[in-house]
Amino acid sequence: MNEGLAGLQSVLLETPMLAIFLTLAAYLTGARLFLRLGKPSWCPAVLIAAMLLAATLALTGIDYDDYRAGAGWLMLLLGPATVALAVPLYQQLPRIRELWLPVLCTLPPAAMLAALYSVGLAWLLGATPEVLASLAPKSVTAPIAMGITEQLGGVIPLMMGGLLITGVMATAFVGLLSRWLGIRDERVLGFVLGVNGHVIGTVRAFEYGTTAGAFASLGMSLTGIFSALFLPLAWRLVGL
Amino acid sequence: MSSLYGFLWLVGFLLLGEALVWLLHLPVSPGVVGMLALTLWLMMRGRVSQEIQSASQPLIAILAMLIMPGVVGVFFIVEAFAGQWLIVGVALVLGTLLSVATTLWLMLRFMPKAGSDE
Repeated sequence: MNEGLAGLQSVLLETPMLAIFLTLAAYLTGARLFLRLGKPSWCPAVLIAAMLLAATLALTGIDYDDYRAGAGWLMLLLGPATVALAVPLYQQLPRIRELWLPVLCTLPPAAMLAALYSVGLAWLLGATPEVLASLAPKSVTAPIAMGITEQLGGVIPLMMGGLLITGVMATAFVGLLSRWLGIRDERVLGFVLGVNGHVIGTVRAFEYGTTAGAFASLGMSLTGIFSALFLPLAWRLVGL
Repeated sequence: MSSLYGFLWLVGFLLLGEALVWLLHLPVSPGVVGMLALTLWLMMRGRVSQEIQSASQPLIAILAMLIMPGVVGVFFIVEAFAGQWLIVGVALVLGTLLSVATTLWLMLRFMPKAGSDE
């Protein structure tokens, strides 16, 4: 019985289709559950989907490396998807021109500090270089962060986990601080969400309003570009 | 057909990114270089064509799904980083609180007062 099942599993794993099926199914189920739960900001749809998928792999005994080899076919699309981010970026250009001074003054220090605070803290606490390289792109949108962490010698799954926690935390802290300080300006809230919380923050910003959402996408793309240029250079300079 | 044509453009710019990274020894990922090149191209053209638009929108919409195989990996490396999880947690939570506070402060400092558009 067990032997038969194992045989069936290895037959199904011969092509990438099982991995692709499981990913699609978990993603769509995660999105549904997220809506059912009333869109909790502390538990984004990707997190639900990832937990479902991990549980499925664990229960069916599929090896993560086998799954990953198949799902690699889906991840191939990350390259063209990163290039596609040029379209919203281009569409945000008028807004950048309108507010170039605050954006120019805020973005470089904010994007650098987003990485440095966490890397610095982890370094002080004695993290390994591998962990440091995985934490550095924590505020960068996933397709760009994957490229960065590969270049720095980090571990992609660890980086992804960090990305998820950062997005959730950034969303929570922006809500908390803005209520506490009485900040209502959608442009400020959106930009801060995008710079610190990448896609997860941007999704949240669109719930504040379209202005907040546009500024979040702007903050997210600029942080991504800036970090893609800055982090590898900084790493080289520090000699890690 | 139109979105397939747009996809051809996106892959073309990705390959251009690969080529530039290799030729100029850039420390940046090919996707980012391709994105910057496409942004420049769009700025020169002054508009986004229907083809590129119809290929980009669905790709961006499924970004969250494309990163899932990577995200799931975190559940399978728990043992490999056994001694590091507390450090990672503290660094992420405290670091994010600090960076959110700093960005808010910087933005409020440099922002002109909220316009009448709100």
